[in-house]
Amino acid sequence: MQWNKQDLGQYLTAEEYIDTLLIPLVPISLATGEDMVKGAGQMETTNIFVKEMEKQYKGRIFLLPIYSYLSSPDLEAEAVRLNKWVENACQRPFRHVFFFTFDHQWKKQERLLSGNLLWLPSIKADDIQSKETKAVVNDQVSQLTELIKSYW
Amino acid sequence: MSEKRQQVSRRQFLNYTLTGVGGFMAAGMLAPMVRFAIDPALQASTAGEFKAVEEVDNITEEPTRIDWEIEQVDAWYESTVTKTAWVYKDENGDIVALSPICKHLGCMVTWAGSDEYPDQFYCPCHDGRYYKDGENVPNTPPAEGLDFYEYKIEDGTLLLGPTKPRGEA
Repeated sequence: MQWNKQDLGQYLTAEEYIDTLLIPLVPISLATGEDMVKGAGQMETTNIFVKEMEKQYKGRIFLLPIYSYLSSPDLEAEAVRLNKWVENACQRPFRHVFFFTFDHQWKKQERLLSGNLLWLPSIKADDIQSKETKAVVNDQVSQLTELIKSYW
Repeated sequence: MSEKRQQVSRRQFLNYTLTGVGGFMAAGMLAPMVRFAIDPALQASTAGEFKAVEEVDNITEEPTRIDWEIEQVDAWYESTVTKTAWVYKDENGDIVALSPICKHLGCMVTWAGSDEYPDQFYCPCHDGRYYKDGENVPNTPPAEGLDFYEYKIEDGTLLLGPTKPRGEA
C-alpha cells in the first residue's frame, strides 16, 4: 500500500492484513554540487526500489513516503525522531518495521532503530532505465522481498 | 475501321481538365473534414492497447511469466509501466493469460510459488491460492479468481491487451 488516497481506502478496510511497515531513508545535503547530484540520484533509486518492493507485496507492505534528513555522520538525533514515527505508526496493527536506505551512516546506528535496517551499497547507474540496470535492480528487489518474507 | 481516330476536342479537353482539377481540390477540402468527423473512432485508446509479447510456439502448458512494458499516460505525467502475465496453453491448445495481481489485496502471485502447492498460483502475503485456470481455491483469502488478459494472435505472435475480471469473461 502506498501513501495515497486510493490505496488508503483499501488499506482501511483491510488493515489487519497489512502488518509490515516500510520506511525509506534518504539523506539530503546542498553543501556541494556533488552532494546534491548524489542525493538526488539516491532519492530516485530509493524510490524505484521501495516501489518495486511494495508492488510485489502490496497486500502486506505499507510504504511510507521517503523520510529525508540532513546528511550527517551522526544520526543519533534522527534515530530518536524515527522511533517516534514508528511509535506513532504502530498504533496501527503493524508487526514488522523495515527501514530501507543507501546511507551507510545508518549501519552504525542500526541498534538504535526500532526496526530492521535494510542497507544496500548505493548503485551508481548513469542510466537507471537501461536494460542491464533494470535486471540488476529486479534481482536485488526479489532478494529483498525474500528477506522480508523470511520475517513473516 | 478506316475511320480516322477521334481527336480530343478543345471542349472535351477543358471538360476533363476542369473536372480533374476540381475533383482534386474538392477531395483536398473534404478529406480533412471526413478525418475530423471520424477521428474519435480512429483514436487508439491507450488503455486498450495490445502489445506483442511472445511467439505462440514458445508457449507451453506450464504457466510462464512474461513481462512487457507499456506507456501509461495519466492526467499529469507519462510513465513506462511494466506489466506481467502468467501465460500457458490449456489442454485444448488455447492461450490462457492471467493477471498476477492477487484479488485479495493486490500482491503479485507466482506459479508454484509454494513448495506445498506446486500446481497452483500462490500469493506469499496471506497464503492465497489459485488453481491453474486462475479460479481461487476456497478457504484461502481471495474471494474471486485472477483476472484474464484479453489477447490476440497475429502471425504467430501473442498480443496482450487490457485485463478483464472473471465475471465479464
